[in-house]
Parts: sequence; C-alpha cells; structure tokens
Amino acid sequence: MTKTASLRLEGLCRRIGERAILDGINLEVAAGECLALLGPSGCGKSTVLRVIAGLDPCDEGRILLDGRDITHRPPARRRVAMVFQSYALYPHLSVERNLTLGMELRGVPPEQREQELAAVLELLQLGGLRRRRPAQLSGGQRQRVALARALLRKPQLMLLDEPMSNLDAQLREELRPQLRAILSGGRAPAIHVTHDQQEAMGIADRIAVLHDGRLQQCGTPRELYHHPANLFVAGFIGRPQINLLPQDDGTVVGIRPEHLVAVDSGGVPVRVRSREWHGASQQLLLESAQGPLRWTCDGNQEIGEELRLGWEPRHEHRFREASGERLGSPGRHA
Amino acid sequence: MRGGTRTALVALLLLWSLGPMLWQLYTSLRTPEALLAGAGGLAGGWTLANYGAVLGGDPPFWRYLLNSTVVGALSTLLTLALAIPCAYALSRRRGLLRLLVGGGLLAAAVFPYVLLFLALLQVARQLGLANSLLALCLPYAGLQLPLAVLLLQAAFAELPPELEESAVLEGFSLWQRLRWILLPLMGPAVVSTGLLVFLFSWNEFPIALTWISRSELLTLAPAMARIAGSSVYTVPYGAFAAATVLGSVPLLALLLLFQRQIVAGLTQGAIKG
Amino acid sequence: MSSLLLMAPALLLLLAVFVWPLLDYAWLSLQAQSVFTGLETVPVGAANWQRLLADGRFWQDAGQTLRFALVSVALELVAGLAIALLLHQRWRGRGTVRSLALLPWALPTTVMALGWRWIFNDPHGPLNGVVQSLGLATVPFLASPDLAWVATVVADVWKTTPFVALLLLAGLQMIPADLYEAFALEGGTPWQGLRRITLPLLRPYIFIAALFRLAQALGVFDLIAVLTGGGPASSTESLAVYAYLNAMRFLDFGYSATVMLGMFLLLLLGAAALLLWRRQAEVGA
Repeated sequence: MTKTASLRLEGLCRRIGERAILDGINLEVAAGECLALLGPSGCGKSTVLRVIAGLDPCDEGRILLDGRDITHRPPARRRVAMVFQSYALYPHLSVERNLTLGMELRGVPPEQREQELAAVLELLQLGGLRRRRPAQLSGGQRQRVALARALLRKPQLMLLDEPMSNLDAQLREELRPQLRAILSGGRAPAIHVTHDQQEAMGIADRIAVLHDGRLQQCGTPRELYHHPANLFVAGFIGRPQINLLPQDDGTVVGIRPEHLVAVDSGGVPVRVRSREWHGASQQLLLESAQGPLRWTCDGNQEIGEELRLGWEPRHEHRFREASGERLGSPGRHA
Repeated sequence: MRGGTRTALVALLLLWSLGPMLWQLYTSLRTPEALLAGAGGLAGGWTLANYGAVLGGDPPFWRYLLNSTVVGALSTLLTLALAIPCAYALSRRRGLLRLLVGGGLLAAAVFPYVLLFLALLQVARQLGLANSLLALCLPYAGLQLPLAVLLLQAAFAELPPELEESAVLEGFSLWQRLRWILLPLMGPAVVSTGLLVFLFSWNEFPIALTWISRSELLTLAPAMARIAGSSVYTVPYGAFAAATVLGSVPLLALLLLFQRQIVAGLTQGAIKG
Repeated sequence: MSSLLLMAPALLLLLAVFVWPLLDYAWLSLQAQSVFTGLETVPVGAANWQRLLADGRFWQDAGQTLRFALVSVALELVAGLAIALLLHQRWRGRGTVRSLALLPWALPTTVMALGWRWIFNDPHGPLNGVVQSLGLATVPFLASPDLAWVATVVADVWKTTPFVALLLLAGLQMIPADLYEAFALEGGTPWQGLRRITLPLLRPYIFIAALFRLAQALGVFDLIAVLTGGGPASSTESLAVYAYLNAMRFLDFGYSATVMLGMFLLLLLGAAALLLWRRQAEVGA
C-alpha cells in the first residue's frame, strides 16, 4: 500500500519569457488532506498542478514529496495521479482497458490487476460499464472512470484539475460529497483545483486562494470567510460579494451583506434600487453616497425606500486601500 | 441548382473523368482491323488477344505490377517508420527549430523532385544501388518524407495533449505512448499518409527510369514508357490500351476501397498549409 | 534534445535526397563531363554557365514550360472550383462520384499519357474519328507545334484537376453554412454569395492549390516525355525534359547539371517574386 506522504512546495516559480506565471508559491499539504486551489481563471492554479506533476518545468523552488525532493524527477517516476478537466480517457479503449492498460504496462501481474480492477469498479459503482467506450458514458460516469484510473495508479499524491467543470450544476452538487468521501478515504494528499468556491468549500479541508501567480491566503473555509487576509480574498470569497466602503484615511472597510442592519440614526443613508428573491432571504441592491451596496435581509423594504444601515464593529474588516493588506489583528476566527 | 441541371453537370463530370479510360477499355477489346475501320463496325472485331499479348510478353506484364507493388509497399513502410518519430518530435516542439524545419519541409514538399534525378543516379551508381528494387525505396522515402511529416505532425497536433500527459503520469514510456495511445488514435491519418506515399511510389517515373535498366525489374511507370517507345506491340494501340487498363485496375480498386482516407489525407494537407 | 534524436534519421535522409544533389550540381556545373571528355570530369570554370545563357533551346524551353504551367494551372483552378462547388452540394451518390472523379489523379502519369496519345492519334484516334464523321480532314494533334502543346495542357488538366477540386472542396467544407444563411437573410443572391463569401474565405486554399500545382507543372516531365517526347521539333519540351535529354541522350552530364541548377534558380526567383507580391498585396489590403 501507499505510504503516507506529505507534500511541500517551497518558493515555486514558473516564468514564460518575462511573465511570472507562478511567483514563489509556498504550500504544505498533509497526508490524507485535501487542499483546494481556488482562484479566477488565468491565476496560475492549473500551472501549479502541472509543475507538481512534472508536465511543466519548474524555474525556481523545490517540490518535496514525503521529504524527498522530486523537483527534477521525470513525471513518470513521481507516482502522482491526475484527473484532468477533460478526464483524458483514452477514447479508443473500453472502460476496462482504460483502467488496466497502465497496470499492465507497469508490470502488475494479471491476478492482482483483476483484483484491483474489481475493487475500484465496486468502489466507484462502475461494474456495469466495463465494456463501454468513453463516448458511451455520461459526464458523471466519465469522471468516475478518470478517478478510478487515478486511484489504480496508487499515487503518493492526487491532483484534480477542475474535475467538476464539465458537469451540470445539479450533478456537481450530487457528486461533491462522493468525491470528498473518496479523497478523504485515501492516505495520499490531494490537491483540487477549482474556480468555484462552493465546490472548494464542499470538498476541501483547506483552501489556498491564488491570484496573479501569488498565493493570497491559505486556511480553512471559515478562516477565509471571516478573516480574509486582503482585499482580493475578501472580494473573491463569499456570495453575494462583500461591500467595500472606501474611507477618507486611505483604508477600506469591508462588511458582508448579511452583517448590515437597519438603524434609526447614524450609519450610512441608502436607497433601495432593486431586489432579488433567494427564498429564505432576499438580496437588496442599494444606492449610497459611497456607491452601490448589497444587503442580505429578510425585511420587507420597498423599491425606492430610503433608510439607514449600520453594522457591529466586530463584523468590520479593514484593509489598506493601496496595498490591499488587512489591518488589525489577522487573528483566529471567532 | 435545379435537379436537372445538376444531373447534366454530374454526367459531364463523369464523362470527362472516365471517358478517356473507358475509351482505353474499348480499344483494348478490339482487333486492330476493327480499330482501323473506325467507328461504326461495332458488330464484330471484339477480342481478348491484346491482353494475351501483354500478359504473354517477356517479361509478362504482371511482373511490372508486382515490382511496383513491392516498391510501393516497402517505400510506404520506410517512409512511415522515419516520418512518425520525426512528426511526433516536431509537433511537440515550439520555437525557432520548429519554424525552420516546418518551412524547410514545406519547401521540399513542393520542390519539383525531377530536378534531383541526375545526382541521385550518380549516387546510385557509386554505391551500386542501380537495378535494385530495395534501393529504389530510399529516394522514394526521402522524396515523400516532407509531405508525410507535415501530414502526420498535423495529426499529432490535433490530439488533445492531456491524453498523452495522462499516459506520461501513468508511467508509460515514449514507445508505449505511441504504440498504445497516439498511433491508434491517428489511425486514419497514418492510413491516408501511407496511401499517398504508396500512390507516389507506384507512379514514380524519372528515378525508376534511370535506376532500373533490367527489364524484369522495371516498375509500372517506366515499363509503360518502354511499351510506348517500343515496336514490340503493334500499332494501333490495342496492346497499349490493354496495358493501360491493366495498369489502372489496381489503382481503381485502391481508390474505391480507400476513397475516404485519401480524401481525408488531402484535406488535412490543405488545412495544414 | 531527445526530440532532435527522433528527427535525426528523417532529416538525414532529407539532406541526402534534397540538399546533397543541389550541392553536387553546383560542383558538376563547373565541370565538363561528356563523351568528349571520355566521361571524366574536367574543370571548365564558368563555361557551362556561359553556354546556358546563350542556349536558345534552354530559354525557349523555359518560356514553353512557363506557358504550359500558367495555362494549365489557371484552367485547373477554374475547373477545380466548379467541380468542388458541384461536389459540395448534397445529392445522392456524391461519394461515389467523388472517388470516380479522383481516378485520373491516382493513375500513373505514364499510363494516362499513353492513353491520351491514342486519343490524339492521327488518323485512328477517337478524336479524329469525331473529326472525320463531321466530314473534315483529320487533324495532326501531336504533330503540329501549335496543337501539340494544347494537347499536353488538356492531358494535364484532365489529370490534375481532381487534386485541385479536392483541396478546394476541403476549403468549402470549412466555411460555416450559417454564413450563407445570414447572407441570404440580408437579401444576397447565391452568385453574390459566391463572390463575397466563398471566394474570399477560400483564398488560402486557392493559394495552396496554386502553389503546389505551379511547382509541379513547372517541373513537368512524365507527361511530356511519354505523350510527345518534347516534340514536334522540341515545341512541347519542358526544362526537365531538356535536362534529362542532356544527361541521358547526349551524355553531357556537366551541362545537364547546369540546366537543372539554372531551372532551380529560375524557380527560386519565381517563388521570391510570388512571396514579395503576396506580401505587398497583404500590406495593400
């Protein structure tokens, strides 16, 4: 069986010409932990996976797997498995051959191959699909086959590149718990790349937010939400988006839409412009002297109504406007 | 376009494309007297003697067909064996080298190769390669490599890169990736490239003409030219026509069998260019 | 680096087949090697090149080759486009017709050249059969300098138009059908559609087809060698045929190499002019 291993990235850099795609990424993923790499498209998150897998070269920094430096090891010898966004199933081979070809070429004896195949087909409920070609499978089934192939690699590290993005919204929601169960069942660390924060929060133990090739913050979903390290993370995590109110002293106050409350005096004067019903709550789009504001509430305000909003100081996030960095204690969440 | 006009145009196209060949077929089945009598006398004068003359010649005509088949098949295998690794490497490279090699290949692909025959002939004489069907495969492979590499590298480039990356991460060697993943997926491109190379080698004239002098080793194209220039076969053209028909039948069969692949191969060439 | 290793065998053979001969010609064109030298090579400096410049037959052949290539390729492009448009429409039996129409292209040139020689035969060929049935005197198609080159063009157009048609058909299939639908909604006629949509979008394919065909037509050898042998009175002789005759019939290898190199230089000049013209056309557009 796979030995438990942990992954460590030290100052990972990748450049194309003058442009830094990755700029000094430091990360640690413990054995059995699932880390989500979250960021907008083009932030470099897929590149991190490709550099770890050895598919893209690493210009600077080190990759340590289980304490051993694998930075310059050829990809085939890293014992890393990857589930690609497109699943990359071999289109000319049946499900069964997709799963066994690798074992066969790696010299796994036939009896053991059959055993492991049966086990993984059972685990991922693929038994009835053995003879099908990838083209005859649904999106969800393809994802499971790709996952099965990755598991059969007995990887010391599991990498998943947007494994849900080719599925429709409903299926994604159904598959999240399943994927989480499988990933946390393994002993290898897993890195899951996604641009969807719901998915990241649903599957990962910790989330690393990436922007412009730099790591912005790494922590539990709760930490990211309640103590965003900078303006980018504050704006990226949480839907509806946080309200950012520029102050005269060069700082920005951030306040989550659900933390605003109607007050009789003081606060910010606003006017209701439009409304979205979300069932349990409603989201109002407001006009204020500092720009548009979002407010999540259960009240019954009318369009055009004017009122004043305030918030409790403990819910306030404060950032430096120029650098975006958080002011005040970045301390643990409440 | 209205149906009637179209039918007429299609008929015209077929008449234009097939007419000359059909006329050869007609000629090959007529006696010299019937041909000299001109049109009109359709009643008599049909014969298979022309085929008898061609097939009973020395060497018999099937010998040329066999020689061409051997040369065509071996040249195709050699070309593919050299072109596949080269096309793979080229499709995986970026930058200056790719640009240079790609441009050079395109220039070589359109180069009128007939210009090369004299120097190649000298090489053949110096190395004792003349009058060898095997040796003929070397210049044929060399001449068809540019087109073959261009077509195959376009096919490699069309495969999604993550298929190969996935195989790399599974621990496959380069050979295993080619054998199990890439080449099976490129089947159509390999087949159509092979067919184009085969057609070229089967039909090639100037090099075969100058390298081969022993008549039992002639390939089809120089054999036809020799028939045209010899007095062994009587004028008018009954026996010539039988030879053209016999020389065309294998290609007609190939064309009907592999129509789709040949079209696909040429199409890819166009997209590539 | 391993990618260079994978390319090496192919590149070596390419160098041997394409580059070595040209270097060899460059050397040989500065030698005399003929029956007069007992087939030994004797350095003669630029004598071969001086002879080439003053060789009326070389320049006559160059003109004939160019005329043959330009007329053939122009006809092939027009006929090829017409056939491609016909084959692009959907109708029953299209696939079969497409492969049958491809037959002339697949046949060995020597085979079909022999066939055409019979068709043009005077007086027994079918073409003269038609002429005679009209009550006219037979026409010496291959024996008249004015007609023989037309015969070579007809045979070449017959053989290579399918290739052009197929390339252009590939181009037509790349044009999305909704472009024509949008154009029709704006009130465009099919003829306008051909001019405003099809031809502009087909331009790269037309260029590639013309490039391939021009290069091949300028190097024409098989067809002329078998159909007319360059005659009558070398009126259909191409440069390639002339170079061949110099080597294989006159056994004048030094001069043959000079002719081939001269032809190569002319081609290079032509290609450079074409590229320049195209770049300028692009800048102008």
